[in-house]
Amino acid sequence: MKYMTTAAAAALLLGAPAHAGIDEARALIAQYSQLPTFEAPGPAFDAKACMADKKMFVIPLTNANPFNAAISQGFVDAAEIVGFELRDWETQLDPAGWIQGINTAVAEGFDLIDLQGGLPPEFLQPQILEAQAAGVKVTATHNWDATTQGAPDWMDGAANTDYVTVGQIIAAWAIVQTEGKVNALVLGPDEITPTAPLRDSILGYLAEHCPDCTTKYINVPVNDWATQGQPAVQNALLADPSINYVLPVYDSMSQFIVPAIQIAGSSAKIVSYNGTPFVLDMMRDGDIVEMNVGESLGWVGMAGTDANMRLLCGLDPVTKLNTPAFIFTDENVASAGVPATFNDGYGDVHIEGFKALWGID
Amino acid sequence: MTETPPSSEAYEARIAALEAKLAALEASVGDATARVEWDWKGWAERYGLILAWIAIILVLGAFKPVQMFAWNSYASMLGSNAMVVVLTLALIIPLTTGDFDLSVASVMGLSSMLIAVLNVKLGYPIGSAILIALLAGAVVGAVNAFFILYFGVFSLIVTLGTGYFVNGLILWVSNSGTIAGVSMDLVRAVILTRFLGIPVGFYYALILTGVIWYVFQFTALGRRMLFVGRGREVARLSGVNVTRVRAGALIASSVMAAFAGVLYTGMRGVADPSSALAFLLPAFAAAFLGSTAIYPGRFNAPGAFLAVFVLSTGVMGLNFLGVDSFVQNLFYGGGLVVAVAISQLIRGRKPMDG
Repeated sequence: MKYMTTAAAAALLLGAPAHAGIDEARALIAQYSQLPTFEAPGPAFDAKACMADKKMFVIPLTNANPFNAAISQGFVDAAEIVGFELRDWETQLDPAGWIQGINTAVAEGFDLIDLQGGLPPEFLQPQILEAQAAGVKVTATHNWDATTQGAPDWMDGAANTDYVTVGQIIAAWAIVQTEGKVNALVLGPDEITPTAPLRDSILGYLAEHCPDCTTKYINVPVNDWATQGQPAVQNALLADPSINYVLPVYDSMSQFIVPAIQIAGSSAKIVSYNGTPFVLDMMRDGDIVEMNVGESLGWVGMAGTDANMRLLCGLDPVTKLNTPAFIFTDENVASAGVPATFNDGYGDVHIEGFKALWGID
Repeated sequence: MTETPPSSEAYEARIAALEAKLAALEASVGDATARVEWDWKGWAERYGLILAWIAIILVLGAFKPVQMFAWNSYASMLGSNAMVVVLTLALIIPLTTGDFDLSVASVMGLSSMLIAVLNVKLGYPIGSAILIALLAGAVVGAVNAFFILYFGVFSLIVTLGTGYFVNGLILWVSNSGTIAGVSMDLVRAVILTRFLGIPVGFYYALILTGVIWYVFQFTALGRRMLFVGRGREVARLSGVNVTRVRAGALIASSVMAAFAGVLYTGMRGVADPSSALAFLLPAFAAAFLGSTAIYPGRFNAPGAFLAVFVLSTGVMGLNFLGVDSFVQNLFYGGGLVVAVAISQLIRGRKPMDG
């Protein structure tokens, strides 16, 4: 009896921080399950007047990726609303195309070049310095993390993403669903810029808020997702059948993880980030993809345009996109469209919000 | 190229003469290997890969016995590699007739994407979608054959080009996106249904391996293909319709690659525009590694089948050991080069002229 009392007291003492962690995780989930609200990234300004004689050039990582195409569309929409010239350059994930884009922008007298959606500016530093010498400002949208990373000194600016919060939401979800008993397999391609903040945030949050949770991380380069990702997950699940969550930092990996889970006969769930339409479709139609953290990419494009206009207009710089993360589950995934899209389900407060901010009726 | 069809008796006599030459050639190859003091000959040469497989299992099992000696591990591995086996079989058919088909992975991707587009976006029944995907494979094979045989262009260049062209088609028909929601009937028919614990996709690959093995070993067509690969001029002069055999091999290869795409989509219920391309190297590695076993010196179906699983077992063990994923690249890339080197030794180090 005495032993049991001691054990109960110990359990209470040990359980206290675990419960605190679960409560905190629950609060985070509740916060990001709400429809996004618009928070102005800076003071209002007369965008039409200041952009009247300026033009902007956007180079996506690749137009062949719907993710980049959706962000570019946000830029195009914003430029139409404000009424300035914006060129969306066609590229196919080729450095030659990116360089040609920069040269074209310089030759045609554009005022700003934005490298959007993961195009690594480090690859193009000589061309960027050359463009800057010709008087063109060069920025990046949705590439670096807003808190743990940042644009290098030689960039004129960057509108960054809050990847850390995204990682925390993913980890918090798993903690809440398992009542603090997560055994997670985390996957990421280390060569991609946002992987480090996402990975570290997921692993860090689980370590900090969940004493009974265990994690394993596997690095699978993007080019090897099909050939190595699936066997890596399959074999990890065979080696440890108690894994209850597979957390790829990018949801596009899910297409290789679902068959791995099915073949290994595991009951693990997938929770991830990006709100990619086909993954939301998989969530709607199946049981393995459980939750996805998304963000409106049209909003990202508009927020990137806002940051760039402020730079061109000499206003205080904006370094963090105001696009909120949003949780999709079985309950609300239909709001993303059937089939899902990159922009539906998030509401459209951003359009009116930016219009008001830019002084447009 | 016009060839007068020989009378069937004369034709069979020529085939018999060619078979005799082939036997003599293989004997001389044996002499050549003896000259470089190759001491593990005969059955050891044929079954060396199986011994290597057992060795890999035992060595890795010494470190991770619980996982490496569990049937479930192998059932999962066998089931998840069905499309790699089929893609490898697709490669060895034109390789046997002396042509490289670098477009197989692209055709696999095209077939996978066509099924998704037709079934999910356009509402076609899954059976019709699969049929159209296989026909698309046949069309690509015919295009390959036309450019290789009519214009006499080296197969490596033609299929490199058509593969790249097909990649563009995939991006076009898919609007560069990944498509989910392919009929669960297909997923059930590939991985969700199991026999002896192994997803049924494996058995499709096994049956196909058996069929190709039979055709290569026991039919006149199989022997003709081998003659064409060993010496086009000799085969032509002996009355074999070289053009038809090579064209048939290229078309069969593309149709089988399209079937690999059916299995790939069935495995995931999803099709994406680019990931299938990554299977080209593992398939080549398995094709060449397979040519060192069972019937050493020839591209052969049982060898290819075996090679896929030897390589996959290595990868599985490396996963269990927790090694970094780049080691798998070393494993596959190194495996390809070593396999080619071994097959060259078996061939007596004659230059590979395709």
